[in-house]
Amino acid sequence: MIPTSWFLVLSAILFTIGVCGFLTRRNGITMFMCVELMVNAVNLTFLAYARQFHQLHGLIFVFFVMAIAAAEAAVGLAIFISLFHHRETIDVDEANLMRW
Amino acid sequence: MTIDRVDVVLEVVKILLVVGLLLNVVPIMVWVERRGSALIQDRLGPNRVGPFGLIQSMADALKFILKEDVIPLQANKWLYTLAPLFGLLPALTTIAVVPWGRPFFIPTEVMYGPRVSGACIVGAAVTAILAIVVAGGTAKYHRKPNYSRLNFTIGAIVATALFLVALGLIGVMFGIKAAGALHLPGGGRLFEPIIADVNVGILLIFALASLSVYGITTAGWSSANKFSLFGGIRASAQMISYELSLALSAVSVLMVAGSLRLTDVVAKQTGYFVLFDSVKIPAWNCFSPAIWLAMIVFIVSAFAETNRLPFDFAEAEAELVAGYHTEYSSMKFAMFFMSEYIAMTTMSALVVTLFFGGWDVPWYNEPPTLAGFLLSAIAFLAKVGFVLFVFVWVRWTIPRLKYDILMKIGWKVFLPLAIVNIVLVAWFIAERWI
Amino acid sequence: MIELLIFFFFAAVAVIFALVVILHRNTVVGALSLVASFFALAVMYVLLDAPFLAALQVIVYAGAIMVLFLFVIMLLNLQHVSEPATRPIQQFLGYSGSAFFGIALVYYIVKYTVLQLPPGPFLSDARLIGVALFEAYIFPFEMVSILLLAAIVGALLLSGRGGQAPSPVRTEVAR
Repeated sequence: MIPTSWFLVLSAILFTIGVCGFLTRRNGITMFMCVELMVNAVNLTFLAYARQFHQLHGLIFVFFVMAIAAAEAAVGLAIFISLFHHRETIDVDEANLMRW
Repeated sequence: MTIDRVDVVLEVVKILLVVGLLLNVVPIMVWVERRGSALIQDRLGPNRVGPFGLIQSMADALKFILKEDVIPLQANKWLYTLAPLFGLLPALTTIAVVPWGRPFFIPTEVMYGPRVSGACIVGAAVTAILAIVVAGGTAKYHRKPNYSRLNFTIGAIVATALFLVALGLIGVMFGIKAAGALHLPGGGRLFEPIIADVNVGILLIFALASLSVYGITTAGWSSANKFSLFGGIRASAQMISYELSLALSAVSVLMVAGSLRLTDVVAKQTGYFVLFDSVKIPAWNCFSPAIWLAMIVFIVSAFAETNRLPFDFAEAEAELVAGYHTEYSSMKFAMFFMSEYIAMTTMSALVVTLFFGGWDVPWYNEPPTLAGFLLSAIAFLAKVGFVLFVFVWVRWTIPRLKYDILMKIGWKVFLPLAIVNIVLVAWFIAERWI
Repeated sequence: MIELLIFFFFAAVAVIFALVVILHRNTVVGALSLVASFFALAVMYVLLDAPFLAALQVIVYAGAIMVLFLFVIMLLNLQHVSEPATRPIQQFLGYSGSAFFGIALVYYIVKYTVLQLPPGPFLSDARLIGVALFEAYIFPFEMVSILLLAAIVGALLLSGRGGQAPSPVRTEVAR
């Protein structure tokens, strides 16, 4: 039997790696992948607590998070593709037209 | 639940049996493919390398091992080398949740006397027959027969056969003399011939089938070749499109069985449908009219998932050189080849489990003993062999569709049919007709 | 004992491949490492008594979303478009900030979540999840299906093909 806090620590480590990648990379696709990594870390936390307290609601929440992440990935990649077509670069720092 | 050493040994035995079967099915399927296609195309096929060309697969394997392994200069070396592994691993692991025989109770004591003698007789007879067939088969191909050498060869082979029969008789006498009982450590346990009986069985098959897309995509991309990239992208788009109709058409079978486990699906098919109060038909799903639509959609999607004609854009020999494995040679190509045949075998096993009754022998309720298990395992293998022959048959009969037509019917015909099928079967279940 | 070994091995796999995602230059290698990381996470879900969600994780995340990522990367040829190096000040602030955040998070988790081991195995098969989805959570279920429809329409619109017929096939290619 594995203590729940170990799963929480693993989830925290994965979330931190996702945050680090999101803040330090300039490639749009890589930043998107770091967002997916963060979402998965949170899924792991939900499941750890669902097992701890024997609640089915954690599982249902993870189910919906997966569906929504799929929708988000589709729309986000479509946005990224149209951005790439306009600017021919994947550097997100170049998408700065609306900055003051 | 505690797992002890005997359980681990039984699991290892099961894994060795199943993986051994899968790896050995590849050379047999290569032979069936080549001789079967020759039969359909009214020509001979390989017949030189052994009687009826049976050793041709071994010659091919030797060729694959000894060929030079070429890596293109601009290819991404790591991904190029790992891509065949991405294709092979899902193919080998998917069979873990398919039941291949009737669960039986391991006998506690085995009388080994008669069994030793029986085994010796059978082994000797089989070897003798094989030796004579090989002798007869190869004897025809001497062009200018040197009769003394020919007679010597045939004489040597028949002498070996007689020697083996004599060994068998000695074994029989030894068996009769040294009779006794061997106490099996795992006696009394239920041996379930399925490697992993998880309660979400079929979802694991879909999960691992969706991982097999990566082998093709990575191979196509990392070869640094435009033809390979096109072949890889087209094949992976086709595979992910038909995964949907595959999963949705299997859902109706799962609704009838009431569970996701494949053992429950097979257990539901061991009964009988009684027609007109007298005729008993085995309750396989292929005999139940509500499932026919699901069967058609599933089998067509299985063809598309394993990249077999009429859906084989991954290879498309006439169009794309060789598609995603253009740049692969020797063992890496052999691994792609193997993963295609192993995926085909797993899909056939799945078709048999879902629609043709799995390991159920028709009109006979096998008892939970070793004999019943062997009969059911042989029945399962026979059914899988039949479906594999249908795969080969369709390949050499139906022409390849155009790619846009293939994608169009995948999304516009098979996916709506699969969804309509779910609604239909749900209605039938609600009306208690099933 | 076996559970501990499996946990440590697959936790290491998940963390190492996540590090490869954020550190490697090539985007395709990053995407494939993320697939490996998701697979390791699916094994974690099995250890947490949720095999249904583990299978769903592989089917949805590793088998569909990452294939979408790979298609976009390969079709736009993004591995040849070089990403400029991040400015040093952003790198320093990013690494140090996330390291500080991570260390604080792990410290407080280890210090304050002293939980008892759960009483027994958690029954979470497909039947119970299905019942919950169709009874208690029917409204979010329908809303998510409408959301997915909106996502499909949005993706079509953004990629420029929304509603228009595809360009007619040119039948004459040479004269």
